[in-house]
Amino acid sequence: MFEPTVKRLLQGEFICEVSAEDCFRWLKQPGNAQTVEDFLKQLGYRLSHSQNQLAFFAAYAEIDAEARAEIRRLFQQFKWELQPVVEWLDLMMQCQRQDAALNPGDTISFSGLLQAIENNQSLADRLQGFARFKDFLSSDDSAKGRLEKLLKTLSNWGYLILTSRDTLVYQVTGKLDYFYQALQFIQENEELPLEQSEDEAQQADLF
Amino acid sequence: MSGDKTSLHRLFQALAQHSDLVAEAYFGGGVEPSEANQRALNQLKQLKVLANHGGQGFRLSARLGQFLDGALNSDRMRRLDTDLGGWVDLLEQQISLYRDAFAEARLDDCDAYLAEIERLAFDLSDTLEENTAYLLMLVNSRFANVRTLSEKKRQNVFYIGRLEKLVGAVSALQPALLLEMADDHEGMQALVERQLVRNLPVHRQRLQDILDILKTFLFQIRQIEARTRRVRGFAFFLRQNPDYAPKDWSEQAQVPTHWNRILGLAFRAHPDTLDRGAEKDLVELARKIKIDGAALLSKKPERRLNGVSLARRPSIRVESPLYRRQIKALFEQARQAPGQGVSALAFRNRHVAEIAAPLWLSCVLGEGIRRKALRQGYDFELIPWASDGFDGNLRVKDLRLVFVNKTHG
Repeated sequence: MFEPTVKRLLQGEFICEVSAEDCFRWLKQPGNAQTVEDFLKQLGYRLSHSQNQLAFFAAYAEIDAEARAEIRRLFQQFKWELQPVVEWLDLMMQCQRQDAALNPGDTISFSGLLQAIENNQSLADRLQGFARFKDFLSSDDSAKGRLEKLLKTLSNWGYLILTSRDTLVYQVTGKLDYFYQALQFIQENEELPLEQSEDEAQQADLF
Repeated sequence: MSGDKTSLHRLFQALAQHSDLVAEAYFGGGVEPSEANQRALNQLKQLKVLANHGGQGFRLSARLGQFLDGALNSDRMRRLDTDLGGWVDLLEQQISLYRDAFAEARLDDCDAYLAEIERLAFDLSDTLEENTAYLLMLVNSRFANVRTLSEKKRQNVFYIGRLEKLVGAVSALQPALLLEMADDHEGMQALVERQLVRNLPVHRQRLQDILDILKTFLFQIRQIEARTRRVRGFAFFLRQNPDYAPKDWSEQAQVPTHWNRILGLAFRAHPDTLDRGAEKDLVELARKIKIDGAALLSKKPERRLNGVSLARRPSIRVESPLYRRQIKALFEQARQAPGQGVSALAFRNRHVAEIAAPLWLSCVLGEGIRRKALRQGYDFELIPWASDGFDGNLRVKDLRLVFVNKTHG
């Protein structure tokens, strides 16, 4: 498993139980992560993982100008993704009537979501609102078309994987663990007034 | 379903057929094997009606014993949910009573107390075994299967409650005290040692495993709560501040660890055509590529959508071709020497010999006509070959360019 694992890491992929189960389990076995770490070190990289060890990825051992340029591009991508992904997570809680945000490993059924959206105008409006993000603009104006575009874009960004083509069931990947960590980082370091906003949001929900 | 019915039928048949052995095990505390009953005992053991008693004997399984206690309204009835710690107290009490009866030589009472002690020890042992294994299985498999936070919390409370009962029972079991109480009574000491004391480390380890899982789960619940709050908070904040963008953390002098990630490398491999071992595979691949190539050629390219953008397009500097640069130089040379003719062919031989003479002359002629029409002061004279007669063609061997230094307004 060394070869496929290292190849995925070098291609900038997140390795998690959903996206590459065999590689992930192999990395979790004692000694294997160190073997990969030693190899990556020779290339100027290191093995890193998300907060809860739900996803592994490669990082720079030392940040020089070239590394900084790449990190800058990835950060720009994160900025691009921030608003639609947060909006999607919030929408999923409403659609599935959950009191908990999605977690890596959770499944999403296309038909279940579509049914919830078609039966609730407020959810349909929120789905339509994704059109303001360039990557989510669908040529198909129906709820089905919009939902397809939403899930497809999130799959392209690496947050979802289509686990069953027949039943259109998606599974959340470990990249979401990394995303949550990023939210926490921003909240703590930029001291955003989120707690207050949440209370207001709950009050708004009452109406 | 029919398979289940068959199993049930077989179980009841065995119970009916060997009811004497079941009764002996229930009332007598155990059954000793003999040539006559060996086969029946094995069958009952397979059906989990009987369990090993220690040595070669058999006893009634705790679950069936409890069922019979309940069915017969026995005062020994103990259910799984009862306080296991109370059972330990009862066991200690029964051992004391046995010791008193033994000291007073009340043999009948001794037998009755011993049977009760055996039953208690087996029940306690089986219950601890079943409950710890079952709870471990539950926490291992079911925690991940509920989605809502409230459901997860309810499960956590339930499992903690079960765990507390089991921890209470295991803590109440004082191996040293029980063995001391059973001192001088070898059989009873062996029973306590075999059924309870020996299995205690296993139960403790299981409880520790369950506790570890519950701790992890508690941590996860707290994390899920925090994440959910954060997602809701961010969603609301971003709706209120749609122009918000995080600070450029990648521009910090020391990039925070979280943002350190590689973009990824693109891999490309090339076939080693000198590798004879791979020749067959490469031939196969080459054949496939040909087919794919033909398919690709027949595929129409996708039409690109025209986009409207207010952004200024970047300017592109187009390099002039060689012949244009040299024509420009020729005309410049003619301009520098007004009134003096410049031979286009001589210029070509000196500077652009790589361009064929007929082509060069044709280009100079074209440019000469254009500039003459623009009245820039240029004129030219064609130097023809000697005429072969009137064939309709004018064959030119050179072209003399002249700058007359006057423009016509």
